[in-house]
Amino acid sequence: MDSILEGFKFKRKNTLIHNLDPRAKSVYLVLSFISALLFIEPVPLVIIFLTSIPLVAIAKAFREWSRSMKGLLFFIIFIFVLNLFSAAENRVNYAFSMVFRFLALTSAFSVFFLTTTPDDFMSALEKLGLPTEYTLMFTMSMRFVPTLARDLQVIVDAQKCRGLELEKGNLIRKVKNYVPILIPLIIYEIRRSIMIAEALESRAFGALKRTTSYTELKFKPRDYAFIAVVLAFFGALIYLKITGLMPEWMKVKLPEIP
Amino acid sequence: MADTVVEVRDLYYSYNSQLVLRGINLEIKKGEIVAIMGENGAGKTTLIKHFNGLLKPKRGIVEVFGVDTREASVAELSRKVGLVFQNPDHQLFAETVEKEVEFALRNFGFEEETIKKRVDWALNLMGLARYRHRSPFTLSIGERKRLAIASILCYDPELIIFDEPTAGQDFLQKERIAELLNLLRTRGKTVVVVTHDVEFVVTRFKRVIVMSRGEIIGDGDIRDVLSNPEILKKAKLVPPQIVKCAWLLSDLGVPKNIIYPEELIEKIKSILGAPYG
Repeated sequence: MDSILEGFKFKRKNTLIHNLDPRAKSVYLVLSFISALLFIEPVPLVIIFLTSIPLVAIAKAFREWSRSMKGLLFFIIFIFVLNLFSAAENRVNYAFSMVFRFLALTSAFSVFFLTTTPDDFMSALEKLGLPTEYTLMFTMSMRFVPTLARDLQVIVDAQKCRGLELEKGNLIRKVKNYVPILIPLIIYEIRRSIMIAEALESRAFGALKRTTSYTELKFKPRDYAFIAVVLAFFGALIYLKITGLMPEWMKVKLPEIP
Repeated sequence: MADTVVEVRDLYYSYNSQLVLRGINLEIKKGEIVAIMGENGAGKTTLIKHFNGLLKPKRGIVEVFGVDTREASVAELSRKVGLVFQNPDHQLFAETVEKEVEFALRNFGFEEETIKKRVDWALNLMGLARYRHRSPFTLSIGERKRLAIASILCYDPELIIFDEPTAGQDFLQKERIAELLNLLRTRGKTVVVVTHDVEFVVTRFKRVIVMSRGEIIGDGDIRDVLSNPEILKKAKLVPPQIVKCAWLLSDLGVPKNIIYPEELIEKIKSILGAPYG
């Protein structure tokens, strides 16, 4: 679990990708998100996934990224198997596409969150006109992911000490086993959120409708250049899909198992 | 040896690449009541998590009741080792106080009749019997803490570990916990308590283990350990008040290793001579 989260946690580094304006990076995030959902063919999905690799390389975050990708192995197998059995035809092709759609989405998010501080992200959202309450809610939920993971671990440990076996039994038993984990977690987090709300209010949160920002986001030439490259690439991909002008090699399908 | 409950030999443990336990050696015998002290991040909780197999040694050996913890599951070890976590809110989930205590007993497969008896016993012991049909979440923090203790004591483990039992507790609750330690002592249980509370340790324990930066820097009789300025300084512990008094009075000939008030009074009386001595 930790290794997956590590791939979405900001690590301060001085690289081109880290220094890009979060709005420029979000253009990449949104476009790769849209195109990953738009395509169903394996080749374009692999291409969309591969676009994140040069970004990871420039951001010198290959270790964190690859660890989180490895951590996703369980989900990848799950998605592959599920789709393999549920698809009506071209099952291998479909399952493979779904895996790469998942990888493309998670990888793009990983690149974004690995290289963007929650503060920058908040400023970017505010620049887009979102109210402070909502941006704070969003950034706090990101900020509390590692805390939640830690709480979860403590709760699992505490229940294991009282003889809870998480791996044993049939499916219903296994699901039931999670009740003693989830109830304390939910109640604990609700209590925590009330405390945080009180702490925020006692520091005058909400006194001003519009707050000022310590750092001001400004587009630089490199941000325009990045957006131009991203727009050109994904624009072309989306154009090919919408107009049906996709070359044959992009439509290649994987052979079906007999 | 038959009466050794915990044996730790050359234990090393690291989180990611950070070494948190380095070369720990210790032995705890049956019936001992031991306090583990040290500053935040000294490795106390990491160490006790090795005693029931929640953590497995990266290097070295931990044997509990003669079983290598690497070869047993947490559930197996927990049958004999009870660990009471610091924050009760990390474990309470049941609809009623009674069901909360039953949880471990059911997991360990006790008979229905035994479950009933044990629940009654544990709730009475922790003064929670009148809340038995209430939701655990409606209890005060002190009561929740006692409930967490009851939910471990109910299955009668041989070794009981408390992580910070006195943190956030008022005087009366501390006294209750002290009484509980006495009761466990008379029942021949082995108890390990992780705490920051120097005064609590000095009045209730015989043996203390002091940790700093993942190492044991003092282990022995509280008189030797808690009056040793070097150990206290290294572990960032405040000396017990009586020890502090003894240090201040050392010019008058009061020995520096006095830890109990009665001892100090006797010593002062003898120094003052008649009519006090």
